[in-house]
Amino acid sequence: MEAARATQLPGELRYIQYEHALEETYLPAIRALISKDLSEPYSIYVYRYFLYQWAHLCYMALNPADNSLIGVIICKLEHHASHSPPTYRGYIAMLAVSSAYRGHGIATALVKMAIDAMAERNADEIVLETEETNLPAMRLYERLGFLRSKKLHRYYLNGNSAYRLVLLLKSSAGSDVNRQPT
Amino acid sequence: MQNFDVPAPPPPNVSHPGVVVTDITDKFASAVKTLSPGELVKDDHFTLFESVSALEIMDPKMDSGVLSEGESLDEEYDVSRLLLPEEILGIIDQLLCLEMAWHLGYPLSQTLLTSVYVESLMNPRPTSIDEANFTRDPEICEKQPVLLFVLRAYCLGMLKSCYLVNQLVKDELYYEEEDFVTNTYDRTLLNDIPEASIIGLLQKARSDLRAAGNVSKDISAALDLRLELRIAFMRAIDLSTLRQANPDSLKMPWIQMRGLMEHIEKNHALGKSVPEAFSTKLQRRLASTMPPRPIVQLSFEECYGHFRRLFQDGIEVTDVLKYSEPQSLLTFVSTFQAKKPQPLVFIRTLLQSLLFKEMVVLGSYSIRQILDHDLSLTVLPCSPQIDPANDNIEVPSDPRHQTAAQMEIFRQRVAESYLDIFRIFCQNRCRVRRTLCHSIQEWDMLQADVEEIDNLLQINLDEKPLHTERGEIGYALPLSSWAYLYKLRQMEWIVQLGFELEVYQPDELAGMYWYLNYLAKTRAQHGDRIKMFNARSLDMARNRANHRHPATPNSSNNGGKKTAATATLSAAQEREFAQSKSYIRATMLDAACTWEFADGLCCLYTALGRVGLVGPSSSSYRNDLLRYEIRTKPFAAIGLPQRPAFDAFARATDQPDTSVPELLRYAAGAVAGARKGYEALAKTPDAQAFCVGAHERWVGGVRDCLRAAIAAGVAVSTLQGAYEKALDGAAVGGGGEGEGEGRKIEDSELDVKLKMEIPPPGKGYHDWWVVPKLTPLP
Ligand SMILES: CC(C)(COP(=O)(O)OP(=O)(O)OC[C@H]1O[C@@H](n2cnc3c(N)ncnc32)[C@H](O)[C@@H]1OP(=O)(O)O)[C@@H](O)C(=O)NCCC(=O)NCCS
Repeated sequence: MEAARATQLPGELRYIQYEHALEETYLPAIRALISKDLSEPYSIYVYRYFLYQWAHLCYMALNPADNSLIGVIICKLEHHASHSPPTYRGYIAMLAVSSAYRGHGIATALVKMAIDAMAERNADEIVLETEETNLPAMRLYERLGFLRSKKLHRYYLNGNSAYRLVLLLKSSAGSDVNRQPT
Repeated sequence: MQNFDVPAPPPPNVSHPGVVVTDITDKFASAVKTLSPGELVKDDHFTLFESVSALEIMDPKMDSGVLSEGESLDEEYDVSRLLLPEEILGIIDQLLCLEMAWHLGYPLSQTLLTSVYVESLMNPRPTSIDEANFTRDPEICEKQPVLLFVLRAYCLGMLKSCYLVNQLVKDELYYEEEDFVTNTYDRTLLNDIPEASIIGLLQKARSDLRAAGNVSKDISAALDLRLELRIAFMRAIDLSTLRQANPDSLKMPWIQMRGLMEHIEKNHALGKSVPEAFSTKLQRRLASTMPPRPIVQLSFEECYGHFRRLFQDGIEVTDVLKYSEPQSLLTFVSTFQAKKPQPLVFIRTLLQSLLFKEMVVLGSYSIRQILDHDLSLTVLPCSPQIDPANDNIEVPSDPRHQTAAQMEIFRQRVAESYLDIFRIFCQNRCRVRRTLCHSIQEWDMLQADVEEIDNLLQINLDEKPLHTERGEIGYALPLSSWAYLYKLRQMEWIVQLGFELEVYQPDELAGMYWYLNYLAKTRAQHGDRIKMFNARSLDMARNRANHRHPATPNSSNNGGKKTAATATLSAAQEREFAQSKSYIRATMLDAACTWEFADGLCCLYTALGRVGLVGPSSSSYRNDLLRYEIRTKPFAAIGLPQRPAFDAFARATDQPDTSVPELLRYAAGAVAGARKGYEALAKTPDAQAFCVGAHERWVGGVRDCLRAAIAAGVAVSTLQGAYEKALDGAAVGGGGEGEGEGRKIEDSELDVKLKMEIPPPGKGYHDWWVVPKLTPLP
């Protein structure tokens, strides 16, 4: 069901960083907003897994009129060692903007905040997966400089494939793209 | 206010020798009070995976026990209820749709195992064919609706087929869940019941059906077709294990099924569906913690389309057994797997099993035969290096003995990686690309390793470096050279699959086509090198032959003039040299087409970038050097060909010193060159194009490339015209007054008045050649 689209934003939005004290106020709204576009729900542990460990990488966009939740981004940042050389990898796990407020740059602002926060913490790269059919999400990330690194066949339970998107923040150790061929 | 606090129950009375009980209730209760809701006490072993697998009790999407108001836990459909003949037909067609959904990658739990009839056949697990009935109670059995035996026989045939497919898939390389779900949730799919007795039952059902008088002729015929389909299906799988048989005989059941399916589609409408005979509730009885998930419903048309393709692919796949040489085999596999839509996992694993099973290739050949055949076709025609006679030399000091030993080391080293190339192509397209990215690392190492064998053998065989008018070329290094050829082809495939899978954004196309051009050019140069060494081998072989059998034994009267030395090579040797010569020619022609076309598209996209039709996104996070690093990551560690430095790549792609008209002139020439090349390729007979057994598919692909090249030519000239017009317009409009030469007009200021569309994969002429469509704007 497509909610009516707001032609205008309700004034200057408030962007705040999540913290544990806000769980009671915002976790139900976060879950509701994110589950809307999911075929399979996440258990509450999935949210807590991220929010508890990386509250500092979760940002919310709030309606200035009543502080209700309009958009949210949830991330993690960890050492990733499954391939060499190991990297300090940021991961955008969830992103959603309430459908009535889409197309006003809210998600873009949230993603930028998350990138900045991860860059400040010395992330080497930021990755995420998105459904191949999710053009708005792909356009948004690619506009910010993300590249598709691979396609993942039937990645989601609904049978859709995904793209892995990557934004490299630092040159990876040992890689010298400017070495001159000998 | 009522106090809801219930006094705590007394602690259980645990008394057991050796167990000291400590009551921690109070400690736990007070510890818990220090946590607020949602605060986690998390140890390092609680991973994202665990949190994703956690269930929330009472959430209907996670808790399999949750029932909505008035809902019953279990299914109550009665399998002994009365069924009309048309309802049996309807259920069978519904089962066909579910079976296809399983082939497409959905789990049995959401497909066939949602059938109440299937469940009653399988649970409890039948150990004999008689037990495999809807009810096990003989009295009720007696009273079963008349045609239920048709449904029973159909279901047994279907389940056994699923068992056989599942086994086939599990034996080969595939990706669980991504490609296919082999999980049977503890249902055994009749593995205890021999195929023969099920086929017997199906045949009996067919004759009983014919004997049953009270059924309309149309419905009876429709049911019979479906029983026949089940028999043919089992037969097709059964025959495919006879890899040595005549491929055309393996085809028979597939051809039969294709015909049956046409008829089945026509009388599908006679059936009456029975939706109640399928229920998601049955999932609660399966070995799974998942709450019931919806039934995957394909429409009958979709189902029919997929089956038709499945049977067609089944007919074609058996042709792989008609072996002629390894390069045609590779063409067969790669073009078969490039079909759109890609053949189903069942067929892809069937192909793998035909290709290689129990150390036998295509049912009849050893790995050595194939490898040596490949070497003779590419780098070692008629070479003493692969002479089977070497094996018979037992004197260790004899160089031929040593050659045989070194070649065996070579085969051991490469066999797995070589067969992997074929296996990789049998994966889904995304996996093909990803796995090739790993495979080239392996081939890079392999090349270095086998070069050491080359070094040993060149001493052993007393090889001299090659000198030509171009100077010293060095040693042949045939094994390393062979590995390099395969590595280069894989690298090209990686880039080409990137286009096919839409991995590259429009502003990357110029760069990626430049890189493809670089790889193809390297392959062509490498082909040229192989050609020179093969020519030398031919000369040497002729000289040797000549030496052994002087052309004119009593030559005193012809002044010692030799007649053509060629006469002294055996016909088989001549053929072997000629074949490798045509292989090198074919690969060089193919590489030339790729490099020309890629060059042309690179220039076209660069020009489109100049006039602002392909814009790089500008973002503060964008860093072209780092983007290059991600894009070329699979190639970063490859020793040869080395990844170009970013500056060189950027300069070659952007071509800052070349004007737009020059770029377009260049693009026009390159694209026209590619076009001519494809025209020549399309006319090449199958033996010389190395697509024996796959000619139709191969030439179809070449013609698609040709069409793409023609379309690219049109795009180039459209842009040329629009650019000139825009330039004229700008000169007239913005021409300086009286100052002679006006200010130079930047390309980015021009309005070429064109709309550009980049066709998504499947919408252009060929997925590897992304040709923009340019249309003039008013
Ligand atoms: C994907 C999603 C998060 C985008 O949210 P959004 O707030 O609409 O995104 P933005 O407004 O930042 O960008 C969307 C468009 O608005 C445009 N836009 C940006 N700033 C704008 C502004 N100030 N005013 C108007 N439009 C603006 C953007 O250019 C963009 O245009 P494009 O579609 O041509 O690229 C949203 O569609 C969503 O929640 N989808 C469902 C969940 C989902 O798919 N999540 C991603 C999973 S990885």
